[in-house]
Amino acid sequence: MSEAEFGKTQLKQLEQYKDRWSSLGAQTGLIGTSDQLSVEQLREFEIFQDYDDKILEKIRQDVSVATWQEGAVLFEEGTYVDLAFFVVEGEVEVFLQGVAGVAAPGAGARPIFDSSRTVVSLPAPSKPAGEEKPTAARGTDIAAATAVPKTERSRPSGTITFLATMDFDLPRGVATRLGPGEFFGEIGALSGWPQSVTARTATPCRLLQIRTPALRVLKRKSSALTERLDKLYRQRSLSAQLKNTPLFSTCSDIFLEALKEVVDLVSCEGGEVIVEEGDAADAFYLVRSGFVKLLQRFGEGELVVSYLSKGMTLGESELLIDGLDSWQVTAVSVENAELVRLPKEMFGQLVRNQPEIEAQLWRSAADRIREAGYSRRNIAYSEFTQVALDQGLVQGNSILAIDLNSCTRCDDCVKACADTHEGRPRFVREGNKYENLLIAKSCYQCRDPVCLVGCPTGAIHRSGAGDEVLIDEEICIGCATCYRNCPYDAIVMHETGIAWPEDAVPTGLRGKDQKLASKCDLCADTGHGPACVSNCPQGCAYRVGTLEEFEKLLVRRV
Amino acid sequence: MGTFSRRKAGFERRHWLFAIAVLACVGVWFANVVLDEVRPGSDWAIGYGAAALALLAVAAAYGLRRRAMKVASRRGGSSSAWLAVHVYGGGLFLILVLMHSGFRLPSGWVTWWLWILSWWVVLGGLGGLFLQRWIPRLLTSGLGVEAHYDRIPELVAGVRERADKLAAQCSPAVQEFYLRSVAPELQEPRRRALYYLDVTGGIQARLRDFTHLVQFLSHEEAESLRDLSRLLRTKLELDAHYTLQLPLRWWLYLHLPASLLLVVFVALHLVSVFLY
Repeated sequence: MSEAEFGKTQLKQLEQYKDRWSSLGAQTGLIGTSDQLSVEQLREFEIFQDYDDKILEKIRQDVSVATWQEGAVLFEEGTYVDLAFFVVEGEVEVFLQGVAGVAAPGAGARPIFDSSRTVVSLPAPSKPAGEEKPTAARGTDIAAATAVPKTERSRPSGTITFLATMDFDLPRGVATRLGPGEFFGEIGALSGWPQSVTARTATPCRLLQIRTPALRVLKRKSSALTERLDKLYRQRSLSAQLKNTPLFSTCSDIFLEALKEVVDLVSCEGGEVIVEEGDAADAFYLVRSGFVKLLQRFGEGELVVSYLSKGMTLGESELLIDGLDSWQVTAVSVENAELVRLPKEMFGQLVRNQPEIEAQLWRSAADRIREAGYSRRNIAYSEFTQVALDQGLVQGNSILAIDLNSCTRCDDCVKACADTHEGRPRFVREGNKYENLLIAKSCYQCRDPVCLVGCPTGAIHRSGAGDEVLIDEEICIGCATCYRNCPYDAIVMHETGIAWPEDAVPTGLRGKDQKLASKCDLCADTGHGPACVSNCPQGCAYRVGTLEEFEKLLVRRV
Repeated sequence: MGTFSRRKAGFERRHWLFAIAVLACVGVWFANVVLDEVRPGSDWAIGYGAAALALLAVAAAYGLRRRAMKVASRRGGSSSAWLAVHVYGGGLFLILVLMHSGFRLPSGWVTWWLWILSWWVVLGGLGGLFLQRWIPRLLTSGLGVEAHYDRIPELVAGVRERADKLAAQCSPAVQEFYLRSVAPELQEPRRRALYYLDVTGGIQARLRDFTHLVQFLSHEEAESLRDLSRLLRTKLELDAHYTLQLPLRWWLYLHLPASLLLVVFVALHLVSVFLY
């Protein structure tokens, strides 16, 4: 292919296409990935037949056809994948590891799969003294482990993510087979959650692989595809997901099966208004993924009074309190968000039939009213909530905040980090500044770490039920996918000065300089807490996980 | 109790401990004076000297901790706790030295040096402590920019480059204004004593010319001029960092060599005591 045959734009597109799919080369069992498909070739597939040329042209860089040999592991339980798969030919087997599963063939001495990565972390319920801490659980233990006390409010833990993905609601030990025309992996791809199952080719397969941006476009442009994906989601996952939310954790399976048939699934793009203050309150919402900010009219403008994250609910105040018939807030999605919508009548039935849920909802409503009142009395709090949403601070489990009122700029925090990590510091003392706080460019240890999405080797992973997102340097191939995904510039690519050997897989790496991704790991495996904090002479470096903790550190100028 | 509450409680406890230690020292010394026990060479005076020596060793250990962070992170306690021991221990050291000498002026040249160096090191340390409390607040109080001291020349060069490019696209009138009033300011980082009094460096007065000129310009030109004023503001804020971060670094050069010299003279003093 020369420049004479292709225009510059086409060559650039081709380059981008190769770049986007090159990381798949690390997967063992992949026979080949197609060249970039033309619009006509795409249209040959059933799922693309309803779309016009413009849309197909837009998505074709994010779609490929891959041929896999039998037994190839497409993804593993607990890993993050930014692809949805559509079976063109052959059969794929999905199962939970442990019984039917085997370690991924060819994954090397250290399997990609790490049992700690699928741990479902739970909210820390307020429990009586002496009661045992709930333990993290996997697979079939999830339901037992999520039986949180009835006093638990419907707000997720401040420290850890509570909701596991449920692409397939499978019992451990049971495998299911998917044949031509079937979709899988789409929930993980759209929500950014880890895969709940392992997918392996049962026969030689041809799979259509659709990256998340294309999947979003396709879903947005076709109500048929939206319905199809929603139907799959209802069939495979919804009741298990509802069961895993604190609000519905005490409900019976029969009740949840009935509930899943009456709820609507709502997908929002960033900035989309979900409900508007003053409109009739006609439904109850549960956030499945993403963030939603709540605004109230204040003078001529609007004030951010609170925000909702995964597992939180909206509408309880309006639907429970007599006389509140209209929305008291405007809800706007901050980024792509997925919600479950329960119509008002159904909500009434739910509350009547499940008194423990009603009690939780009353507590949640009281919290919401208190927060709204606090925000209206403290404009600065509202302003900070907005900043926190804009800068992603709500995502972080452990954000490095430096109090500049005490910081003498000695850089001991950075030096300590370098000393702990073989001379390579994992952060720089730079970043966004808000009042007296500097939010350093250090990993936030996000609740939903998008950096994990698309890592071809699974080198970047969350450590068990902890906060830390870690990079396994032994299996990192330096593809920089995580570096590009991180919205906060918290991952750094290091040159190692070593070239990849001539037998390296993927082949595209051969002879090139090896790079290594590195990021803050909270000094995991060092036997001490974050060195940046313990080595700050002024005690002004903090690890912060909630907005309340930020509030305590902020010194506002009047 | 949360981390934040614990920190505050720890800070208050340190103050109380220091106050109690000072009172105890003064009480013991006063009792000795009343009993006429403190004379050069007396057991009490030697005891005060030994205590001062121990505190000097503890205070000096902070420097070692800062140079062994990897080890210290594991089992050394927090750096802030060490600094507190360093500061309070240093203060007590001077009190004990004075008690050791019976609050008299020294007689020999070694003891003179010891006396001067002890005051120098402790007062220098307290001066540094004052700077560490005052300057960070000053920097946070009125500046939007945060910068690494060592990178400031590079950042200023970046600002100048952007401003030059922007000015080159403007009309001759704006270019002339830029060359006359703005470009000289952007040449290099500058330190001004004014920043100690007003951290903004009188920026509003400096930007008045921009406000005046902007009303004679087209919309696009006015926007470019506003961008130039923003760049000038950034540069002046970098100057503030350049000025104010300097003493935070340089006071250590007053404190550290004197501390090392003090250790040498303490060793000489000990040798002379044991020999003679």
